[in-house]
Amino acid sequence: MVDRLKTEYEGIVEFRLINVEADPQGSALMAQYNAQYVPTFVFLNSDGSQSTIVVGAQSEDVLRSALDALK
Amino acid sequence: MKGSKWIIWAAVAVVGVVIVVLLSSGGASSGTITNARLLELQAEGARLVDVRTEGEFAAGYIPGAENIPLGALMIAAESWDRTQPVILYCAVGDRSAEGMRLLASMGFERVYDLPTGIAQWDGQIAGRPAVADAGDVAATNGLPVLYEFYTDW
Repeated sequence: MVDRLKTEYEGIVEFRLINVEADPQGSALMAQYNAQYVPTFVFLNSDGSQSTIVVGAQSEDVLRSALDALK
Repeated sequence: MKGSKWIIWAAVAVVGVVIVVLLSSGGASSGTITNARLLELQAEGARLVDVRTEGEFAAGYIPGAENIPLGALMIAAESWDRTQPVILYCAVGDRSAEGMRLLASMGFERVYDLPTGIAQWDGQIAGRPAVADAGDVAATNGLPVLYEFYTDW
């Protein structure tokens, strides 16, 4: 589902999929956003400011709403 | 004459019951609100509740909000004053809408939902970690970014 959204939002939103066990920077980045559970979705506006964080498996509608709210 | 009196009293009783039912049904002032209306209600003494998870709340919340995840809302609300206005919000409005239905079913008279969630909150955010600490890894490249943190298991 995320892959489908990634294709749909290509050029509009950059998707960074971080496997926190395989990526050495993943854990540090996750800690920086105070994310404690997986999956966690962190939405950043184009200026780097945080828009929202959503924790846990989500429906496509929820992710799409958060993506559409990005500036 | 006796018959007429009985009919009149019966009519009065029916009207009285209707009035009581209407007054106790509540929810007349409940519904969705804007960011600006949230601040007004909060200033008037409404309880502001963030129904997201603890992890989401820790990453930033609307000032003055208390964190009660949706799954724990009904239990927490048992001890609340049902006449006090309650405002609910979440990330993008799904969980807060469900929370509003739950509180209305418990008899809360004034329950409000921020349908756009904190995702479109244009006021201050409390408790948010500084993105400036991210370093190059977390910098955006001119586009908004979605990070998904996951594992294989």
